[in-house]
Amino acid sequence: MDMPVASQGRVDVRDLHIRFHTKGQEVEAVRAANVHVRPGEFVSLIGPSGCGKSTLLNAVAGFIEPSDGQVLLDGQRVTGPGSDRGVVFQQYSLFPWMTVRANVEFGLRMKGVSASERQAQARTLLGLAGLLSFENHYPDQLSGGMKQRVGIVRALATSPQVLLMDEPFGALDSQTRVVMQEILTNMWQRLRISVLFITHDIEEAVFLSDRIYVMTARPGRIKAELDVPLPRPRTPAMTSAPEFAAMVRQIKGLIREESIAAMGGELSEGGLAGLCTEVGPQGVGHLV
Amino acid sequence: MSALPHEIDSYAPPRVATPTHVGQGVTPLPLPPRHSPPRRAARFWHSRAAAVLMATLSIAGVLLFWQLATHYKLDAYIRFNNIPTPAQVLEKVVEVNQSPKFATNIGISVRRILLGFLVATVLGVGLGVVIGRYRIVRALAMPALEVFRPIPAIAWVPMSIMLWPDNEVSIVFITFLGAFFPILLNTVHGVEAIDPVLLRAARTLGAGEASLLRHVVLPGALPHIFTGLAVGMGVAWVSLIAAEMISGQFGIGYFTWEAYSLISYAEIALGMITIGVLGLLCSGAIRLLARLAMPWQTHSQGAR
Repeated sequence: MDMPVASQGRVDVRDLHIRFHTKGQEVEAVRAANVHVRPGEFVSLIGPSGCGKSTLLNAVAGFIEPSDGQVLLDGQRVTGPGSDRGVVFQQYSLFPWMTVRANVEFGLRMKGVSASERQAQARTLLGLAGLLSFENHYPDQLSGGMKQRVGIVRALATSPQVLLMDEPFGALDSQTRVVMQEILTNMWQRLRISVLFITHDIEEAVFLSDRIYVMTARPGRIKAELDVPLPRPRTPAMTSAPEFAAMVRQIKGLIREESIAAMGGELSEGGLAGLCTEVGPQGVGHLV
Repeated sequence: MSALPHEIDSYAPPRVATPTHVGQGVTPLPLPPRHSPPRRAARFWHSRAAAVLMATLSIAGVLLFWQLATHYKLDAYIRFNNIPTPAQVLEKVVEVNQSPKFATNIGISVRRILLGFLVATVLGVGLGVVIGRYRIVRALAMPALEVFRPIPAIAWVPMSIMLWPDNEVSIVFITFLGAFFPILLNTVHGVEAIDPVLLRAARTLGAGEASLLRHVVLPGALPHIFTGLAVGMGVAWVSLIAAEMISGQFGIGYFTWEAYSLISYAEIALGMITIGVLGLLCSGAIRLLARLAMPWQTHSQGAR
């Protein structure tokens, strides 16, 4: 298999606006977002739920057309989905009627690669992910973690310039999630492919990324851009380093404000503190 | 969060191989907990041998009641006075098979079913996929189809005789109509029920519209299509027998109705049983086809 060249895979999201029209109302999902992924870089996009981070990724994948602004891949305008951008979805999205290997071969089949060549490449990739002995299984026979490894391998099979991952480990339990993060960082270390990674898990973003964008509550704007100071290759031991904890704390602070804003209503810092007030036997009357 | 099929719980991978490139500190994936083995009695009642035993008992029960009711000429509002005994029907089986007429009648009915059902499958699945996938086609075709859908195939018999040049074609047409709507509607439903994320995934992997239809839409709708085929086969038989009784020459439905006109009670029963067996064989064939066409389903949901 030819290794992706690190001079390719540059993603530029420039002044991106995305608006939806639902039931006669206009909803602004993303406002004036600027996101850049340099060739071979691992970039995470983090924010409170509903902040439009998946919408932004869908625009890069080509599923959604920008209302304003541009999405460029290696300087070329993105006009629709294509195999130059591999996508890994949260809901696994494996074809249930295809075996593990047929799923991995699908992209190559669409490219017109011969059956024997397809099989060889798929088996190489499955071997990398430790799934070779499951090549003839159907997705329903696999655990969640295994399904998502197949999903990643399938997205990599067509040698895309960039890998787009939309909360890929969101449906997994926390133990499996940690292992998957290690597998992913190791694969990335080998392949050096550009990655745009969506998550709401702060530790996950810090552990995996070179750079992190923090998004605001809807409409999603870029609130902060942070470089992760941890060295490569990443090891699980780094999660107990003081730099790691400091970075997590910093992002937590940034997101907390947005989560409160996203929840809406009368919640505020002061309001949350009020919720902790001890209520005596006389009830809440005296508070009012 | 997507719900995992419950089978996952009981499925324990032999051992998850550690990926060769993974560094230190990687622990194997946690194994799901195993269920305690089912008790022996429970296992017997789920076994194949038990199923065969129960089926035999079930059919033997019906035969026994039939024998007793006809032997003692049971007359309690429902009357068994003129009903032939199982032995009389068995004699009839031998008798009718001495001439090729009976076998010819069966052959003609089977040919009508196969022809009508085949056309219904091709048109129903083809049209169903297109209607399910493209909103414009749906908006254009569905209102017209909805007008015809509530009309039972049997109601088409007089019209069908006027429409088609000969009697044979008109009976095949009635059979086709019976099967067509269940197949069409289930296919439409199956196409609409496909998880949109699978379509997105296929498009990011470079699939064009034709590949999408062939590799994602069609296999994705297949479980619903087979539901439509099973229902359609049942309705096709209902329609065929009715058409043969009303307008027919030849066919097992005609055989049964003719027996009634000739007051040949044993032949009436024989015709009914033959229709039942043919219907059973046809739906069995569809189940078998479904299992062959959807190998992934036997793993996830057991035999359908």
